[in-house]
Amino acid sequence: MDPTSRPAVVIDNGTGYTKMGFAGNVEPCFILPTVVAVNESFLNQSRTSSKANWLTQYSAGVMADLDFFIGDEAISRSRSSNTYNLSYPIKHGQVDNWDAMERYWQQCIFNYLRCDPEDHYFLLTESPLTAPESREYTGEIMFETFNVPGLYIAVNSVLALAAGYTTSKCEMTGVVVDVGDGATHVVPVADGYVIGSSIKSIPIAGKDVTLFIQQLMRERGENIPPEDSFDVARRVKEMYCYTCSDIVKEYNKHDKEPSKYIKQWRGIKPKTGAPYSCDIGYERFLGPEVFFNPEIYSSDFTTPLPAVIDKCIQSAPIDTRRALYKNIVLSGGSTMFKDFHRRLQRDLKKIVDARSVTSDALLGGEVKAQPVEVNVLSHPIQRFAVWFGGSVLASTPEFFAACHTKEEYEEYGASICRTNPVFKGMY
Amino acid sequence: MILLQSHSRFLLQTLLNRVQSLDRAVELDYHWVEFDDIRYHVQVSMKNPHILLLSVSLPTPPPETIFFGGLPFGAIEAIKAAYGVIVQILDPPRDGFNLTLKLNLSKLPSDEDYKHSLLVKVASIREVVLGAPLRVILKHLASRTVAPDFDRLVALVHRPEESFFLVPKADKVTVVFPMRFKDSIDTMLATSFLQEFVEARRTAGLNNAPPCLWSPSPPMELKGAPENALSANAGFVTFVIFPRHVEAKKLDRTVWNLSTFHAYVNYHIKCSEGFMHTRMRRRVESLIQALDRAKPDSEKSKKTANVRSFKRLSLKDNSR
Repeated sequence: MDPTSRPAVVIDNGTGYTKMGFAGNVEPCFILPTVVAVNESFLNQSRTSSKANWLTQYSAGVMADLDFFIGDEAISRSRSSNTYNLSYPIKHGQVDNWDAMERYWQQCIFNYLRCDPEDHYFLLTESPLTAPESREYTGEIMFETFNVPGLYIAVNSVLALAAGYTTSKCEMTGVVVDVGDGATHVVPVADGYVIGSSIKSIPIAGKDVTLFIQQLMRERGENIPPEDSFDVARRVKEMYCYTCSDIVKEYNKHDKEPSKYIKQWRGIKPKTGAPYSCDIGYERFLGPEVFFNPEIYSSDFTTPLPAVIDKCIQSAPIDTRRALYKNIVLSGGSTMFKDFHRRLQRDLKKIVDARSVTSDALLGGEVKAQPVEVNVLSHPIQRFAVWFGGSVLASTPEFFAACHTKEEYEEYGASICRTNPVFKGMY
Repeated sequence: MILLQSHSRFLLQTLLNRVQSLDRAVELDYHWVEFDDIRYHVQVSMKNPHILLLSVSLPTPPPETIFFGGLPFGAIEAIKAAYGVIVQILDPPRDGFNLTLKLNLSKLPSDEDYKHSLLVKVASIREVVLGAPLRVILKHLASRTVAPDFDRLVALVHRPEESFFLVPKADKVTVVFPMRFKDSIDTMLATSFLQEFVEARRTAGLNNAPPCLWSPSPPMELKGAPENALSANAGFVTFVIFPRHVEAKKLDRTVWNLSTFHAYVNYHIKCSEGFMHTRMRRRVESLIQALDRAKPDSEKSKKTANVRSFKRLSLKDNSR
């Protein structure tokens, strides 16, 4: 049977979480942390052993090659025993460790999705700043190791736009604000083509929010075991954080009614098994505040996210700007904070209005500028909007024609994956 | 992971999620495909949140296998025996599927462990349905008889348009797998993998494992099999199953491992390709290191000292 008659496999590998599933569904089958636990105890053994020993060691080494876990299983394994080391294959949105990545895909395909890679077309995602070499390498692994019949490497911001495509209108122009765990990108897209020269990226992402919360809790002297503190901070971020409109007011609210705003965290110390509890206070709103006032977290980077978005749109071609302001799409897990989109829209509107006021003043009131519409959109599937976009894209019949096929790969080599058509529009 | 698990991970996850929040009405509609072209469809509607419709489609059977009403021999009985009251078989099944089950989740037992094991059993629907004829034959083997309504050579489907063969006898069952691979590299790897597999069987610790043979040409047992079943580009693997391999609890595992043998080999070939790539990457790294070490010092110092990317023209060059 022809692979095109089966649903394509859509895997969105993010720095923090990987979303995978089959095209045509509304939700990914699995959302797993992107982490591999490798058993490295065989690698470090001394090599000066006798020959009989060599064979057992060799076969043990081969077994160790299959002895690894991914996702939640990996985290629990590494916690319960010392033989497993965690390795994160993706750092800052780019694949960092190809060995681990290949293993991760192997488990995704065979253990989680349980499909035969030869039977399905694959859609993978990449960040808009991925180097062509890394795309090539991805293609090489997919075609050589897994023998996939066809592969499409999509840009995740375009997919995030495509996710909104079905729910409302056929709009493929917009700015995607993709705040993941390891990377934040602001990507303007016009008619489905990425405006490559205007992409802005920020060194602050979900992981930094976690680190900031961890730092705040540590400085306040909360009673959290150090080996658990990062994990607790991550969970606090995911469960309790929200975006506030005004920090001073928020501080006052917390001070007046601590019982209402201060939450409790209860956990069990992993080493001793003793229960502990701690308070969660100001970090509930200070965590997400990092995006709007980065100076509270780092002194190297101090431009707030709304200003970066504004700068990004201002550097785009002039005829697209109004459309870009009108359609600002959020994607990625770290935009899930409550009221994040409201705050973003308000701050951005402020910047835009200030600019039109100054331009009016410059013109002396002769010509009134038409007000610019600013819209920040959020939808309930924001967490896996990229995956959903991929699922929508891969279930269209045109998808199979746009894929790189195995025949092409065998004819021309990995270089077919170098270019991505969405960058061909304008630079 | 060395062996493939018998339950579908996603199906189990869906069932467990559903059971946990049974009274909350949700709309579910999932389609997915497993290896060897098994398709699943799960549906839950808002109206009846405790009813779950599970449809399964099986690989297209080749002409030599026997299917009754779109299902392998003994499948209906196996489903009834495995699931009891919680499952109702809908006839006819949904369009495009071979089997549709109506699961009544409110009828699940209250005992947590039993409930979990039952849900795992539901998630292993593939093993129950597709492995049904194999189970019947192996059960007869356990009681040392031959199943009455089978021919000398039984063909069972395990992949689309492909089947494997059984020769049931009272004291042993011979299982023959024609191994086929699409990719030429895969075929090469599979051939050597299977030879190693046979070799590994001879090691001391595996005396009780089923005897296993590999041959590039069709073995004697396949005499009388249809022509198209006798061509296999990676040879033929033969297992001989004795009654001791199907005793009591071992039966389920034997059925599963035999019916997914091809998927198992395929998985391990992909793994070994990945393993080779890891080794190749390590080798390239070490070679690059060696090359770097071999570079003459002058070249190295030049690289570090001369950071300017352009060559400055001297006055003398200008005048020329």
